Amino acid sequence: MRVPESARRSSGSSSSDGPSQLLTREIVDFTRSASRQYHRAHTSARDVFVDVYSNALALGVVLMIAVSFVLTLRDELAGRSLGDTDLVAARWQVVPADVVWLVLTCLALVGIMSLARRLGPVTVTRAEGAWWLPLPIGRGRMVLPAFRRRLMASGGIAFLAYVPFSVLTSPDRSPTVHASSALVFGVGAVLAVAGAAILQLRPSASPTPRTWIVLGLVPVALLPFLTATAWPLVLVLITAAVLLAQVIPRVGDVPGVELQRGGAVSGHAAASIFFVDTNELRRALTSPPRHSASRRGRRYYARPTHSAVAALVRADVVAFLRLQPLPIAALTWWGICLGLALLTPALPVVVVLGVVLVAGCSVSAGTGTVARRIAVVAELDTLLPISPFLVRCSRILMPALAMVLWMGALVAVLVGLGAGPASLVLLGVIAGPGMGAGAVRAATRPPTDWSTPPVETPFGPVPQGQAASLLSGTDITVVAMIPILLALYLGAVHPWLLIAQVIASAVAVLVQASAR
Amino acid sequence: MAAVGEALEADRLLVGYAGRPVCGEVSFRMMPGEVLAVVGFNGAGKSTVARTVAGRQEPLAGELRVLGLPVMPDSAGFRRQVAVLFDEDVFFPSLTIREHLLLVARGHSLGSPEEAVDAELGFFGLEDKAGVVPDVVSSGQRRRLLLAAAFIRPSSLLILDEPEQRLDPVMREGLAERIRQRADAGTAVVLVTHDPRLLVQAATACLVIDEVVEQVDTERGAQFIAGS
Repeated sequence: MRVPESARRSSGSSSSDGPSQLLTREIVDFTRSASRQYHRAHTSARDVFVDVYSNALALGVVLMIAVSFVLTLRDELAGRSLGDTDLVAARWQVVPADVVWLVLTCLALVGIMSLARRLGPVTVTRAEGAWWLPLPIGRGRMVLPAFRRRLMASGGIAFLAYVPFSVLTSPDRSPTVHASSALVFGVGAVLAVAGAAILQLRPSASPTPRTWIVLGLVPVALLPFLTATAWPLVLVLITAAVLLAQVIPRVGDVPGVELQRGGAVSGHAAASIFFVDTNELRRALTSPPRHSASRRGRRYYARPTHSAVAALVRADVVAFLRLQPLPIAALTWWGICLGLALLTPALPVVVVLGVVLVAGCSVSAGTGTVARRIAVVAELDTLLPISPFLVRCSRILMPALAMVLWMGALVAVLVGLGAGPASLVLLGVIAGPGMGAGAVRAATRPPTDWSTPPVETPFGPVPQGQAASLLSGTDITVVAMIPILLALYLGAVHPWLLIAQVIASAVAVLVQASAR
Repeated sequence: MAAVGEALEADRLLVGYAGRPVCGEVSFRMMPGEVLAVVGFNGAGKSTVARTVAGRQEPLAGELRVLGLPVMPDSAGFRRQVAVLFDEDVFFPSLTIREHLLLVARGHSLGSPEEAVDAELGFFGLEDKAGVVPDVVSSGQRRRLLLAAAFIRPSSLLILDEPEQRLDPVMREGLAERIRQRADAGTAVVLVTHDPRLLVQAATACLVIDEVVEQVDTERGAQFIAGS
C-alpha cells in the first residue's frame, strides 16, 4: 500500500495560519450546498407539493379551531359579571386578574428560557459535532445560522401564542394593541432565548447568572401590559438589539461539549415529536440520570425484608425517592390552579375546572418518571419471581401517593376558599390512586405500530392506533378525576359522587395493574 | 513541567467518570515520532485515558500537557495539532464519502485537497465508493472512511482508539505501515489496541492498564494482550 504523498508532506505541521472565518464559511457553505444537491436529486416535485399542501391544510384547520375557540371564550367572558356562579366564594377575591396574567406571562418567559437552555440554544447536530468541531477554524459561523433560526422561531411562536392570551385577558383592547402586546412578548421570548445562550458560555458556572437572567425577565413580562403607547415596544427592541449584539459575536465561544449536548437533546426531542411519542419527549427534556447514586432512602432500603413483594415495594419506593426530579412543575400547576380559582369572576368555573383537569393530567404524567425509565428495560420485571399483577401494583404505589398529596392539598385549599364542604378533600384524596395508575399507564404504554398504513386526517396522515396510544394513561387519569371535578362544580359531595369516585379510582388501578 | 519538544506528558493522571477513577494513576512521556500502545482488559480504562488526552473529558486529577501546553479542546491551535479517531459512526446523511474527506482537507487548509482525497481514497480502498453516502456502505468501509479522515489531515499528536476494529487483515497490515510512516514524519501516536500484531508492528512503547498501570516494551505488551 502506497502512503499518500500529500498527507506525508503535511504530517506534523499545518499549512493553515490560523482560524479563519472565511474558511469556516466555505466549510459551512460546502456542506450545505452538497446536502442541497443530494436532497434535490432524491426529492420529486410531487413530494414537495404533497408536503406543502398537507402541512398548509393542517395548519389552516388548527388555526380555524383555535380562532373559533378563542372568540367563543371571549364572548362568554364578556357576558360574565360579579355574582355569577364561581368556583370559590366571592369574598376570597384577593388576587387581581392583572396580577395573575402578569405572573403567567413571567412564568411563560422563564419557561421559554429554561426550555431553550435544555435544548441548547446554540447547538450542532451529531454529524456537525463529529466533522465540523474538530476542524481548527472559528465556530461562530458554524452555529450562528441555526441559532438565528431558533431566535426567529421562538419570537414568532411566542407572538402567535400571545395573541389569543391577549384577546382573552384584555377583551376591551383594539386589534392594534393586541398585535403590539404580542410583538412585545415575542421580542421578550427572543430575550429569554438569548439569555439561555449566555448561560451556555459558562455551562458549569454557579446559579447566579441564571438568577440574574430570571430577574431580568420580570420587568420584560410587565411590558406587554403597557402597550397603550409605543415605548414598551421600543424599549424591548433596544434591549434585544443590545443583548444580541453581545451574544452573537460570542456564540463561537460556547464549549464544544455544550454544543454537542444541546444538539443531542434537540435531536432527541425533534425525533420524539416526529414519532408523536410523548414519553420519549419527556425523556429528552428531563435531565439525564445522575451518574452518582443518590443516598436517599438508604437506611430504609438496608432494612431486612421478609418477602419478595416487600423487597420489590421497597425498591420501588427508593427508586422513586432517588430518581424523581424536584416537583417544580407540580407546584407551578398547583399555583396556576389556585390563581385562576381566585380570579372571580374572571373565568367561568368550567374553564377553571378544565385547567385543573389539564394540571392533574400533566402532574400525573410527571410522576411517571421512574416508570418511564424502567419501561425501557421491561424484561427486568419478567425476571422477578412475583406475579406481574403485584409488580404493576408496586409500580403504581409511589405515583399514587404523590397524586394523593397533590390532589388532596389542592382540594383542601379550594375548600378553605369556599369551594364546598370539607368532604371534598376526601374525594380529592381518593382520586389520587387512580391518577397514579394513569401515570404508570402512560409511562408504560406500548409504542405505536408504524408498520400499518396511516389514516388520513385533517391534520395530515396519522399512524393507526396513534391516538389511542397517545391517550393511554390520560384516559384513566381523566376517568379518575371526573367525580371530584363534578363535585367541585356542584360545590357539594353527594353520596353517589363518593361512590363514583371510589369506583373510578378502583377501576383505574385495576385496569393498569391487569394490563399486559 | 514538560520539556520543550515533548509531544505528550501525563503526570499522575487520574481519569474516570463522576469523580470516580476507572484505573490507577497514569504517568508517561512521549516524544515526537513515538507510538505508544495502550493495552488492557475491557473496561480497564484505555479509552477513558485516550478520551482524556483528546480533551473529550476532564481529568479527575494530575497533569496533562500536549506539546507543552494544557489540554484545551476548544482552542483552534489544539484542534490543529491533535487528530483523533474514536468509535463514533456519525456522518452527514447527505454527503458522499469523497465530500466528507474534502470537508476535512479543506478545513485543514491542505494545499491540494482534491489530490489528498484521491490519495486517501486509494490507500483505504474506497475509490469505487467515493460517490455514495456512508450509510450505504459496509461497517468496515465506514471505519476506513474514519481512518482516512484521521490520516488526511496534518497533526502533531494522533490518538487512535482501537483503529483495527472492523478492518480485514490486509487493511490492518496497511494500517500498521501507515502509523509507522506517520510517526517517522514526526507525529506522536497514541494507539489503543487489542491487536498484538498491530502493536508489535507499529508501536515503540506500551502502556499496560491493569491493577497497576506500567510502561513496558512492545513484546511484553503483546504478551499481555495474548494472555488477556
